[in-house]
Amino acid sequence: MSNLLNWIVWLPVLGILGMLVIPKSNETAIKYWAVITTAVTLILTLILWNNFDPTIADMQPNFMVKIPWIAQFNINYTLGVDGISLPMILLTALLFFLCTLASWNIPKFIKAYFALLLLLEASVLGVFLALDFFLFYVFWEVMLIPMFFLIGIWGGENREYAAIKFFLFTFLGSILMLVGMIALYYVSGQGANSFDILSLSGGHFRDLTVTMFGHDLPFNILFFIFLFIGFAIKVPVFPFHTWLPHAHVQAPTAVSVILAGVLLKMGTYGFLRIAFPIFPAASIYFADAIAWLGLVNIIYGALCAMAQTDVKKLIAYSSISHMGFVMLGLAAMTVQGMNGAVLQMFNHGTSTAMLFLLIGILYERSHHRWIIRPDGSRGFGGLYTQLPKYTIIFIIAMFASMGLPGLSGFISEALIFIGIYERFTTITVLAVFGLLLGAAYLLWMFKRMFFGEVVEDNKQYTDVNAREIFYMLPLVAAVMIFGVYPAPILNIMRASVGKLVMMLNTF
Amino acid sequence: MTSYMTNLAFYVPELIVVGAMILLLFIYAFSGGSSKKLNTILSTVAAFILVFVGYLQFGFLQAPIQEIFSRSVVIDQFGTILKMVMVVGTLGVIYMAMVSQEIVEDLKFEFIILVLGVLVGAMLLVSATSMITIYVGLETISIISYALSALKKNDDLSAEAGLKYVLYGGFASGVMLFGMSHIYGVLGTLFVYDFPAQLASLTFDNMLVLVPAFLMFFVGLGYKISAVPFHMWTPDVYEGSPVPVTTFFAIVPKVAALGALYRLSTVLIGQETILATTWITLIGIVGALTMTVGNIAAIGQRSVKRMLAYSSISHAGFIILATLVVDQIGSRSLVFYAIVYLFMTLVAFMITGAVSDKYGNDYFDRFRGLILRYPLMAISMVIIMLSLAGIPPLAGFVAKFNILAAIIKEGYYTLAVIAGLNSVISLYYYMKIVRLMVLKEAESTEDIANFSISVQSVVIFLTIPVVFLGIFWETILAFANGAQIFIK
Repeated sequence: MSNLLNWIVWLPVLGILGMLVIPKSNETAIKYWAVITTAVTLILTLILWNNFDPTIADMQPNFMVKIPWIAQFNINYTLGVDGISLPMILLTALLFFLCTLASWNIPKFIKAYFALLLLLEASVLGVFLALDFFLFYVFWEVMLIPMFFLIGIWGGENREYAAIKFFLFTFLGSILMLVGMIALYYVSGQGANSFDILSLSGGHFRDLTVTMFGHDLPFNILFFIFLFIGFAIKVPVFPFHTWLPHAHVQAPTAVSVILAGVLLKMGTYGFLRIAFPIFPAASIYFADAIAWLGLVNIIYGALCAMAQTDVKKLIAYSSISHMGFVMLGLAAMTVQGMNGAVLQMFNHGTSTAMLFLLIGILYERSHHRWIIRPDGSRGFGGLYTQLPKYTIIFIIAMFASMGLPGLSGFISEALIFIGIYERFTTITVLAVFGLLLGAAYLLWMFKRMFFGEVVEDNKQYTDVNAREIFYMLPLVAAVMIFGVYPAPILNIMRASVGKLVMMLNTF
Repeated sequence: MTSYMTNLAFYVPELIVVGAMILLLFIYAFSGGSSKKLNTILSTVAAFILVFVGYLQFGFLQAPIQEIFSRSVVIDQFGTILKMVMVVGTLGVIYMAMVSQEIVEDLKFEFIILVLGVLVGAMLLVSATSMITIYVGLETISIISYALSALKKNDDLSAEAGLKYVLYGGFASGVMLFGMSHIYGVLGTLFVYDFPAQLASLTFDNMLVLVPAFLMFFVGLGYKISAVPFHMWTPDVYEGSPVPVTTFFAIVPKVAALGALYRLSTVLIGQETILATTWITLIGIVGALTMTVGNIAAIGQRSVKRMLAYSSISHAGFIILATLVVDQIGSRSLVFYAIVYLFMTLVAFMITGAVSDKYGNDYFDRFRGLILRYPLMAISMVIIMLSLAGIPPLAGFVAKFNILAAIIKEGYYTLAVIAGLNSVISLYYYMKIVRLMVLKEAESTEDIANFSISVQSVVIFLTIPVVFLGIFWETILAFANGAQIFIK
């Protein structure tokens, strides 16, 4: 059991090694091998969930892995799981499993595709489990390589631009994070410098100053900004969001799902795991700014979504809007707000994954994604008569994303609003308009695509097949069950989130 | 004072290289003209000698630090490790020359003899401790390099490269010599390790005189490092020269001059004088400029070789920053970077050479669709490009991490941020090649490169350390930790 985390991170890598043995021509075997690898990883995370003790607020002692890596820099290979990372681990393993199933019709280089997908899974899991800042950084960066190639090789028409933009933006953020990380290392302890996230946490760096650009600046403010930019680019927080629509639209379906479902959460996870615990005073100092940025995200993302005629781009902008709610919940620094934020990270992961998967299914039939084509004619229309089963799943996904009571999005957004109301009343009121806008663009999209006259070439579309229903079902179940009974997820995070909030509120 | 025979014992590696040069010259003179067979023999002999020289250096790693030749030369671990880097670099370059189509058979032997000559100068430069030996080392490198850069005698570009190199080089060494004479005039000593003692007793006015003198001293070294603003010659020389020569210039003289610069920094930094402050400011500005200018210029290049030339300028800028940190953290980060840089540069140029050999040019488009023809070569190139940009878990990242850690420890946060942002810029143009190799398909069905089995295996052999050292860098860090520099 003590090696469980190691297995979770490295199993996909073992899967790649195994895949190398399979001949390139045997495509079915490669696909099944990828499915098996991700399925076993998912099972391992479920075992982890089963053995997780929700009463412990700290890292679960049974699962800690600590191996010295570079002794001279006091870098350790440290993995650990707590209530904040476990929901992310579950989400990641689940989505990757579903994504291998959704990648059945990849047109070219099957072997390379699945190998990169598995590498991506390993690095993302590594990010969520790493407790050494250096290790975290390495996983964070490794993730960029498979993403670049997945978008760049298997993406849409404009894939190269999107891939490079994504790579450069994220790398820019990481570099600032790297500088901050090394600076932290040298102030972390007299003679006992370390990259250990847990020992860096707790706000030790309040009174330090650094000289930069010829000025004495407060250490924690400056490097909080560095870390903030690094994570904000990933979330993405306005104005660092411009890479996201390109990456999303150009990426193949499975990669969009991973990008929206998991990778964006790495940014907010970075706040929860690193930026807030290490610089609590600076986090409090910037809480207002973060909340306002969150509000801008909500409104701006929603307005942009409303203007889109490409349905995938619309969902991409809706992600920006939804991540704004997470930022709001984080900025609240209250128990409800923080719990709501983590829950929203999970729920957005499932609901947006559903939407992207559904768009992928539709795209495989239509080979375009225009709600309104550039020439003004309708791309889709009357789909509900053609694809009844598809429509039902789509309705569930859409209402979950919208935050309809009874489905998962509602609970997390309600928690966030409860959490922030006292501190940011104005923002709360304004953010509620974001919800309204969300309902507007989703329903409008739905109306244009599913109702009305059937567009001529929509008539030959076939309804979802068994494989597609199979990989949609777990998400449908998650969205509906956690919509009425979120306790399984809330319970595991409660203690850890509570501890973080308590620590923040002592500053 | 040790006897001269003992002194010579510490100078055996260099003497062997000199001997090898003479030996090869004789073999050639009496063999009656050049042939493929003879070239193979000559290069094999040279390779064995270099391996032996490299092996001898290991012995010096264990030996105590030794000042020889009336304190003009010091044999310390710092210099010894850099010499190993240069020896391996020369070895790799000789191999490249042998398989290159660009250097005709007639010239291959000349190439070998010339690079050995530069190597001797470079080895002298990294261990030189008096201004005379520094100058001699630098000039040995320069004069032979002039001939090297004009190696393709009938090629206009190559001839132009040679001429440019001579003009700039002559100017730079003149300025440096002028500066040195000032320094001698004020301090009354030639030995760099005597500088601190002499500086301590100087009045402020005299110190001011020295500031421009040391700036001039820096010009000579900066020219060899191709530090901005003394880098003008680099792209033209790099482009005009055959790929193996370019590779050689990007490794050996650069590493040697950076070693000498570091040695100079150790004697200048650390005192609370106007000279030390100026020196630190100078190094910081030049380092930042070198990185930035190199990177920005690299973006617009059409030729991969020229792009790599500019990128090597920016890497030199990164290493220059390490010379701001004069303790063990600094020296080990410099040595670490040099080792990693060696592997990355060799592979990058080797692949470029093989591609350009096929059609005689190395424009970016030549790399289109390499992944489908030579998947292993393309993957190696991808690894090297990511490593050059500093993406973990590759060795290039660890090298950059070490230098960043060193300068951040000293509190140079601004420089660290500039260095980091430069990595982002560099990622853009490195990914241009990756994009062409992996994301595009080749325009025609013709073969696009000359990869023999032997080149492929050497490339893979050199790429493995880049991956391995990115993950398991503890041992190599310990090795670099041993790079003690002589301190008086």
